[in-house]
Formats: sequence, structure tokens, C-alpha cells
Amino acid sequence: MARAAIAFCWVMAIGLALFLIAPLLVIAAASFSPTPVFDLPLTGASTRWYGKIGRLDGFWPSLLLSLQIALLSTAISLISGTLAAIAIARGKLPGADIFATALVSPLMMPGLVLGIALLQGFRAVGFTAPWATLLVAHLVITLPYVARTMIAGLSRFDFTLIEAARTLGCTYPGSVLRVMVPALAPSFLIAGIFSFLASFDNYPVSIFLADVRTKTLPIRMLQYIEEAPDPTLAALSTLILLGTVILLFVSDRVVGLHRMAGTSD
Amino acid sequence: MSEAAPHLVVRGVSKKYGPTTVLDHIDLTIRRGELVTLLGPSGCGKTTLLRAIAGLAQPDTGKVELAGRDVTHVPPHKRNVGVVFQSYALFPHLTVAGNIAFGLKVRGAARREIDAAVERALSLVKLGHLAGRRISALSGGQQQRVALARAIAVEPDVLLFDEALSALDRKLREEMQVELRRLLQDVKATAIFVTHDQDEALTMSDRVAVMNKGRIEQLAEPRELYLRPASLFALNFVGLSTRIAGTVLAAGNGKVEVETKVGRFSALGNFQAGSPVIVAARPEQLRIGEQSEANTAAGRVRSVVFQGSRTLVDVDAGAGESLLAELSGRDGKIPIVHDEIRLSWPVTETFAFPMEAQA
Repeated sequence: MARAAIAFCWVMAIGLALFLIAPLLVIAAASFSPTPVFDLPLTGASTRWYGKIGRLDGFWPSLLLSLQIALLSTAISLISGTLAAIAIARGKLPGADIFATALVSPLMMPGLVLGIALLQGFRAVGFTAPWATLLVAHLVITLPYVARTMIAGLSRFDFTLIEAARTLGCTYPGSVLRVMVPALAPSFLIAGIFSFLASFDNYPVSIFLADVRTKTLPIRMLQYIEEAPDPTLAALSTLILLGTVILLFVSDRVVGLHRMAGTSD
Repeated sequence: MSEAAPHLVVRGVSKKYGPTTVLDHIDLTIRRGELVTLLGPSGCGKTTLLRAIAGLAQPDTGKVELAGRDVTHVPPHKRNVGVVFQSYALFPHLTVAGNIAFGLKVRGAARREIDAAVERALSLVKLGHLAGRRISALSGGQQQRVALARAIAVEPDVLLFDEALSALDRKLREEMQVELRRLLQDVKATAIFVTHDQDEALTMSDRVAVMNKGRIEQLAEPRELYLRPASLFALNFVGLSTRIAGTVLAAGNGKVEVETKVGRFSALGNFQAGSPVIVAARPEQLRIGEQSEANTAAGRVRSVVFQGSRTLVDVDAGAGESLLAELSGRDGKIPIVHDEIRLSWPVTETFAFPMEAQA
């Protein structure tokens, strides 16, 4: 009986993993389609769609915009979010729990709601510059990831380590640099990756703030699908996927994927 | 500097956190090579005093001198102290050797010097084979040794232990107490331990400072602390005792006659007639039967606890008072529960303390 139960769980684990990975395999396969139909290639393979990515209308400005917004919002979130997390995890801040919940709360809000709220809010105060509104909106998207990861990381950090370093001959700033920064580096990296991906991939918030000249990559991609659904988009998706895999692989070498997934310490 | 010269001097150190006085004009002088324990319940100020010596807490008033230098306003990284923390505070991103080398690296020591010091410290704590291990791969006892090695490696003027053994299980802790004392004596370290564990204090120290409410109630060698407690608090905190409340009838020559609900006792102490006092004696002074120059009291045995080399007998003396006797097997017959027995103990081992709010 127990064996059957375990076997069933095994089937579940393997089945679910395949279920989750299958779409990625399909999109990668479709990108090599020899025909312009968005289809699985059954006869031969072609890489010509990859060549067409760069010639997509408005592709480069959108890619650049998405990278700018993602990198910048991640950088700002990492710095400000970490400082806030220190106050919450260590600073004996009155009502720290409330602030922690507030910092993480956008995660629980549907993106569309957030997008509409931000659009109306920005309009109300006359803040309409598309690039700047996108950046601020993406701070709202990325901060919760940073706050959540850094609060968790800091709650496991023993601040006595800093005192230990000081008694061993380090100045206070020196102790922070030599002890706290390396100890928190994994959390920092994880927070950065999730934050970057959340921003780079965001559609529901960005769509409300973009205009004709300021379109992030996900918005542009949806537009391509509506205009001309051919395997170029599959090729682009595959490249993004590849980039993500490389990012995760490198991070895994550095800190361990299991820590990022949160499945073990 | 001679061995007996004061090595660490704490003079009139006070510290308040908000309205709470944590340290109340502490004076403490420690000689070079001495092992001193700050013993007291949580909140007595012992950890704050240790932190003030380490430079991690700034006293409001008073001075701290270490190795002939006024360090009151010297930051921790320039004090040359070694601290072993309760949580060990080992750096998780460094190996065992990396942790021990940390202090010397920060001081800019030469590579060869660092390697030699690390090796020396590791062999001192018998962990030479674990130099390359990660901290997370060590047991609690091993981590404790690494923390000690790290603190010793920088050759500090004083070693400070903040409840450093309390995270170990009992058997390991008792082994460590003996080993640590021997090790510290071997390297002629001056050390201060903070603990709430009286056994640890008595085992490890040359002198024990019993702390209560931000003050040092008594600073004495373990033996004297036990045999001649200076206050009711010190008596209660270290070891067991029989305590009986009463009133002084007559006094003179350092002795008092005390009237209690269970009889009249003679005790050591200086009080005026009429003062409310507590009469106390250590359990091993109580014997079954009579002895000369002794106080006596009778009662019914309430419980008998066998503890190997000794047996603790709790006797109900009536009127809410009880007597606690520690009998060794050589004392003859051990009574059983409900026995009516008469106990006696020497007047010279009976103390009177002013009655105070009981701790």
C-alpha cells in the first residue's frame, strides 16, 4: 500500500515536471520550423526565423527599453529594498511586520489591477513621461521580490557576525563588507535574478503605461503575434528561454539552484 | 608587568538602557592570567559588562583599562580582545582555517605568520584535521572549538566568553569546562566568562563575581563563595541551602541569637536586636543527631532524593519551614519518607542575612 502511494507520487512528480517543461520544448521545436506556419516541424529544420528576429519592426528599441527598465529597476530595488529589509529584520522598527507585509503586498495583487491603479495615479499627479512611469511602475513590480528574498535572507543572518568581525580587528564598515556582504551575496543574487525576470517579462502593468514609441519587449511580442504569427516569435522566445537558462545555470554554479527554488536551505 | 599586576580594571562603570539601569557603578579588577566568571541570572547585567569590556557597548560613566591602557573610548577593533559568542558567530562563507585566519588577515599579518598561527590555534583545540572544512559541516562542539581558536589566534589581551558553552549538551559541556580551563591556563590567558550556570562558574574560574541587578554582589574564589556567601542572593544563586526566617533576639561578637518559628538558632552576623533576618546553612553541614556547638531542629522527612555519591533529604520542620540535608553514605542510616528525625549543624556554619525582597 505504502509502496503504491510512493509510486503514485513518483508518477505525479515526473508527470508534472514534463507538463511544465513541455510548452518550452514545443516553442523551441517550433522555432526551427521550415514553413511560415506556427507549427511543429515534421520535415527538416530551418534557422531562418532566427535571422529574421533582428529585422522585426521595432525589435531593437523594445529590447533595449526592456533591458534598461529591468536592469535599472532591479538595481534600485536591490539597494533600497535591502536597506528596508535590514530595518525590518534587525532595526527593532515598530510595526516591522506591517511594513514587511506592505513591501511584499504587490505580489498578491493582480497585475492588471496594479497597472490600472498606477495609470490613474500617475495621471492624477500629471506624471505622464512614458519611460519614467514605466521605471517607477517596474519598481513596484520588482521591490516585493527583493524585499521578500532579502528579509528572508537577513532573518537567517546572525548580526553577531558583525560584532565578531569588529572584535577581530575590523572597523564597522569593514565588518559589513567582509562579513555581511559575502554572507548575503546568495540572497542578493537570487533577489536580483527574480527581480530582473519579473520586470523583463512583465506585460499586464506595462501595457497601461506604454505608448506608440515606448513599448517593452513583451508588448511588442504580443503585437507581432497579432500582426503576423510566424515562427520568428518562437525563435525569439527560444532565445529568451536560453538566456534565462544560462542565467540560472551560472547562478546555480555560484549559489545553488535549490536555494533559489527555496526547496532546501 | 608582574603576574599580580592589575591587567583589566573596570572602574565605576554604569550603563542605562532608557529608564533601566543595567550596570550600576561596577568595579572589577582582574589580574593577568586570571580566569574570572560573571555569574548571575538573565538581566543582571553580566553580558552588558562583558560587552562594555569588549567595546561593543559604551558605558555611560566609568573607565575600562586593559593591559595598562585606558580603552574606555577605544572601538572594539582596536582593543585587542578575543570574544567567543554564544552563537559562536563563525563566518559561514569561510572555512575553518579562514575563520581562524580572519583576525590576523585584517591586521595585515604576513602570510607565513598567519599560516603558522592558524596551525598553532588548530592544534591547540585539536582540530588540525578539519582546517579545510566548511563551518556548516561541523558539529556544535567543533564549532565551539573553532570559535575559541579564532579568538585565541590574535593573541588578545583578554578572552571574553559570552555563555559560550551553553549551547552544548550537558556531557559535552562538562568535558569542555575542564578542557577549556586547562587550555587557558596552558596559554596563560586572562579570561572572563559570562554564565548563569553555577557549576560552570565553580569549575572554570579562579574567582567568581556574582551579579544581581547591575551590581557585583560578591567577588570571591569559588570555595569562599560557596562557604561564605556575602549575601542572601549569593547564597541562593550558588548551591543549595536551608533558609529559615526569624528575628534577632541578641547580638554581639559577630554572632546573633535568632528566634524562629521552629526554634532558636545561633548564627554568624552583625545585627541589632529586633532585626528581621534569614538564618541559613549549607545542606552538607546538616547531620542526623546531635553535635556540639550546634543548632538543632526536628521534623518529618518529606522527600529523599538519591544522587549517587550523596542523598538529599528534605525535612518538613513545621510552620512552613523546611530543612535540607545532604547525607553521604558514610553518615550511616539514610532515613525514609515520613521518618521523624532531628538534624543538627555547627553554629560556625550558620549565617544570618538581612531579610530582603527574595530573588
